[in-house]
Amino acid sequence: MAQKAQSEELSKDARQPMSKNILITGVSQGLGLAIARAVLAEGCTVSGVSRRLSGHYAALQEKHGSRARFHAFDLSRTDDIKTELFDKFLPLETPLHGLVNNAAVAYDDLVSNLDGARLRALFEVNVFAPMVITKQAIRSMLLHRVAGSLVHISSVSVHTGYKGLAMYASTKGALEAFSKNTAREWGERGIRSNCVVAGFMETAMSGTLTPAQKEKIYQRTALKRATAPGSVAAAVCYLLGEGAASVTGQNLVVDSGTI
Amino acid sequence: MSSSLLAVVNEVRTNKGQPSVEALASSLRWREDLGFESLDLAELTVRIEEKFGVDVFADGIVTTVGEVVRKIEKAGRT
Repeated sequence: MAQKAQSEELSKDARQPMSKNILITGVSQGLGLAIARAVLAEGCTVSGVSRRLSGHYAALQEKHGSRARFHAFDLSRTDDIKTELFDKFLPLETPLHGLVNNAAVAYDDLVSNLDGARLRALFEVNVFAPMVITKQAIRSMLLHRVAGSLVHISSVSVHTGYKGLAMYASTKGALEAFSKNTAREWGERGIRSNCVVAGFMETAMSGTLTPAQKEKIYQRTALKRATAPGSVAAAVCYLLGEGAASVTGQNLVVDSGTI
Repeated sequence: MSSSLLAVVNEVRTNKGQPSVEALASSLRWREDLGFESLDLAELTVRIEEKFGVDVFADGIVTTVGEVVRKIEKAGRT
């Protein structure tokens, strides 16, 4: 009942021009948290998803109240995305204006050590989940006739090879291909799809790298430093907003200028 | 149920600038007779799901109005 009331309240709010409803996955920490913070600062409502509520996101809820929504869900449960994520948190009657497929897991190993179970788990979260979520987001946009924006977080590793990242990079490459074709398919309904290709950031995702490995990676960039999550988040906000109304099927690279 | 389905069909037709239809015969084909293209059928699917709680395209392609009506009836939402 409380959930229904929350949904109705959101429906009313979301119809106001400055209160777009943006679904963001992986909001507990790192880049997802930075994106949630930036989108909230734009005046939008964030429907945030991650496995558990972090103290950082709870602080955003404290600050922004009902505009910082949260639903705990494990994205590896791809078969339950409709019933457990959308039906309970974003039912069809709730308009959705944007989606940021950010959540991902890392897999750092040599191809010669490739483990089938880990590979399947990787694709489940990094590829299948964003695809299924995109399906549901498009269905919501169709129902409400919303010219929505889909943003997928990709990685510089798709375009520049790094030792140990072949499996991870392949998931992001799949996402880029999915985004390009989604853009073509849904453009006539005004729905846009783009990727932000992020460089290496100082987040938990790159936590397994040694300082020496990180330094080597940063030396391959023009700016000689890590990519700032805030810069990636600003690029996401741009693609979500009206300023990017004519931008679709693109990869926006935010990576300190990898060369 | 048929009047609700008619309203859904006409909503999709109106959205694409086509005149409303007055009745839905079971034999009407979505593409050839009602002029629905693939994205129109996707929109129709979502509107039917919202109204009747059933995804009529979930288990395969449907060709006629009658096939959709049967799926809605089978789901027990009338």
